[in-house]
Amino acid sequence: MTDVLMAILVAGFTSGALYALATVGLSLVWGSMGMLNMAHAAMLTLGGYVAFTVITSLGLPIALGFAGAIVAGAVAGAILYFAIVRNLLKNDKSTFEANVMIATVGIGIALENAILLTYGGQPLKQPVSIAGTFRLGPLTLPWQNLMIIAVVVVMMVVVSLALGRTRMGRAIRATAQNRDAAQLMGVAVNRVYLQVLMLSGALAGICGVMVSSMTQLSPPLGNDPMLKAFIMCVVAGLGNLPGAVAAALGLALLESFVQYALGARWGFPSLLFVVIAVLIWRPSGLFGRAEIRRM
Amino acid sequence: MTGAAAKPPVLQLDGIVSGYDGLDVLKGISLTVHAGEFVTVVGPNGHGKSTLLKTISGLVPLRGGQISIDGQRLSGKPHETAMLGVAHVPQGDMLFAQMSVLENLLMGAYLAPDKAVIARRLDEVYALLPKLADRRNQIASSLSGGERRMVGIGRGLMMGGRILLIDEPSLGLAPLIIDQVYGVISQLSRAGRTILLVEENPARVEDLADRLHLLDDGAIVWSGKPAELMARDELLATYLGG
Amino acid sequence: MTETRPMSRSSMSRSAKTDLAISLVLIAAAIALPFMVDSRYILGQIVLALFYATIASQWNLLFGFSGIFSLAQMAIFAFGGYATAMFCFYFGWNVWAALVPGALGAVLFSLVVGLACLRLTGVYVALLTLAIAQTMYLLIVTDTECFVMVGSVCRQFTGGAVGFARFGDLGTRALLRAQWLVGNYAIIAVLFALTMVFTYAIVKSPIGLAFRALKDNPGYAVARGVNRFQAQLLVFGISAFFTGLAGGFYAAHFQAIGPGVLSMSQLMFIIAIVVVGGVGTFWGPLVGTVVLVLADELMRESGEFRTLGLGLIIALSVVLMPKGLVGRFGDLVHWLARRRASPDSNTAVSNIVQSPAPAGK
Repeated sequence: MTDVLMAILVAGFTSGALYALATVGLSLVWGSMGMLNMAHAAMLTLGGYVAFTVITSLGLPIALGFAGAIVAGAVAGAILYFAIVRNLLKNDKSTFEANVMIATVGIGIALENAILLTYGGQPLKQPVSIAGTFRLGPLTLPWQNLMIIAVVVVMMVVVSLALGRTRMGRAIRATAQNRDAAQLMGVAVNRVYLQVLMLSGALAGICGVMVSSMTQLSPPLGNDPMLKAFIMCVVAGLGNLPGAVAAALGLALLESFVQYALGARWGFPSLLFVVIAVLIWRPSGLFGRAEIRRM
Repeated sequence: MTGAAAKPPVLQLDGIVSGYDGLDVLKGISLTVHAGEFVTVVGPNGHGKSTLLKTISGLVPLRGGQISIDGQRLSGKPHETAMLGVAHVPQGDMLFAQMSVLENLLMGAYLAPDKAVIARRLDEVYALLPKLADRRNQIASSLSGGERRMVGIGRGLMMGGRILLIDEPSLGLAPLIIDQVYGVISQLSRAGRTILLVEENPARVEDLADRLHLLDDGAIVWSGKPAELMARDELLATYLGG
Repeated sequence: MTETRPMSRSSMSRSAKTDLAISLVLIAAAIALPFMVDSRYILGQIVLALFYATIASQWNLLFGFSGIFSLAQMAIFAFGGYATAMFCFYFGWNVWAALVPGALGAVLFSLVVGLACLRLTGVYVALLTLAIAQTMYLLIVTDTECFVMVGSVCRQFTGGAVGFARFGDLGTRALLRAQWLVGNYAIIAVLFALTMVFTYAIVKSPIGLAFRALKDNPGYAVARGVNRFQAQLLVFGISAFFTGLAGGFYAAHFQAIGPGVLSMSQLMFIIAIVVVGGVGTFWGPLVGTVVLVLADELMRESGEFRTLGLGLIIALSVVLMPKGLVGRFGDLVHWLARRRASPDSNTAVSNIVQSPAPAGK
């Protein structure tokens, strides 16, 4: 029984960590610029494949694979900014939310398809993996899962330090909280948007490497984590980073319990049930601030 | 007046036109603020006072005329305007609600060149507004209205700009607090700050401002000393409803 | 956003006349079409395009006219199709008898979705509806439990990954034999025409005005007495009826329905149609269907680049023409009219492109 419980907890915490990484990337972009990036899934996938290419095809060390995924994600974020976001921001503000969603949906499909055309549809093995288990008293923990959790914790610390302690991070938060006031203080908000998209892309890249190391590389790799990350963002309230992490862990644990108790196919529906229940109770999420609509 | 005119102009507005959507709110406004001067624009609500300050700082796009700081023409981009030394204390404070008082002040010094400058400005602000020092770690959204106004002014001072634009500092505050706020503004003016302030009630700036412009329907209809305006009952009645 | 300016009586009738003229030309073309097209493949693709146009017009009613960004459109379509197929499969109903109950099932489903979204706005609606659609897809695809045995084959209740097939057809094969496809074409064309007529009536009616008011300025609309809950549920219900009906006809036309219709790429195609055609314009979905189906056929030549091209078309058209082709066409006509410097033709033109409702900016 403890073995089963342990297995569920390990699976839950591992996927929770991965979802948290995906969720934070999405939530950061939403919180600071009111943009839902539907191409996040494809950016995740891109990171996984770039790491694969760097390590397997070029034969470089794993650390460079990670670096490659980070750079690829950040570059994808920058391209997204210059090709799409910057242009849509020039139009009427009220149309931005829907337009940027539709446009990034298009970019997402195109990128996923480009990956399919480049690498083919057959699943590939992500070389970033550590075999073996770690024994701690009666507990047996796979190194792979521990590595994922460790990497995610490190990334979270890096992100929170970057947002909390640096001048750039303060400018990002200021823009999120009051865009006009941030501009008055001399913040170039367009540059902030670019930085946020690059940061979010870099997080997506790492997340992609981690996700593919648990399963396999395939072009639709990012879709499942992104869909769940969406649900977690909604449960937490879009734009709330600590809330997003908490929701990711909580829902991932719930998911792995449900999958064990009722079968794998009920994992996602159980998440949907939670999100609907939460939204009926609190339409802006558990930790979301209700927006006051001005007439 | 004569003394001020000898000093170089800091801010110069030359026939500026601006507004929202299809509507022009400002219909050709020209005025000059010299170094160390305290200039006030007074007018009823909805006649373009806030729009005037927002147009200067770039939040509302300029449609006609030109604005310059120290003789340099503005680009119209808010962050570049801030770089040239325009410190705007906006209406309703517009604080960063989820940040602490200290972080709000530090955002004011976003463009400051180094840490020493930031520390010096912070000392100055705390000396002027000691309450902010006590509340430095409190989240802005939990402050009282008067405290928020002080943070707004403090944040503007942290910018260390060439000119302070202050938008209706009395708005929504209790009379006692309004007196405190104007006490601070008067201290700033005496310390030699260049200030352009907009206000609905001319009595508040009567003893402070060097010059006053009366704004009506997006145009300046009268200029002079505040005391002169206060003596002109017909002007007060026509434009400010007595 | 869009100004709800009062149109003068004369300009209104002028815009209605333009729509009527366009409709008559389209009807004439639709009647002439089967006499001009020999290829079964082409006629089959045209039938498919009519389905796309029907679904797109209803998504446009939801998103373009009412501002509800629902991503459950294909789920509602699939619900109608599945319900129709299951009535026939399990109860042995005639397809024609199952179509309306199937559509009503889709309405019911859509109302549940609508209720879940009632208090939400913008992206929250999009995310929740996407999650609902995805859940439906996953539950169908992973359904492995035996519900009935057909011969020695196990059948799942939802049809599983395979779906349903051979549960009946529209009866055109028995009636028209070799010409059955023309019969189906006629049926689907009538379905599309009826959908457009009803959509036009809704958009022009006070209800349509309420939808648009809620989209453009929700606070003001509510203050003026528009019941947001009622209006939102109504638009969910109405659009679901035609979408679900189209789903039923789709299942009947192909004599099959499977989870494939729930795939992301199908949903994207519908969104692309509306975006390229013109969000919130009456003729936008039709224009978008024609353009995208043609583009899709051309890209089929280049095979694998089809999805890539589609994605880029979506992104580029949002960036380059936020008002879609209908809006761009409007700009062009406007510009030409202005060059002629006749103020009268100017207003006429803006009414053509903005009929029956002003295009969303």
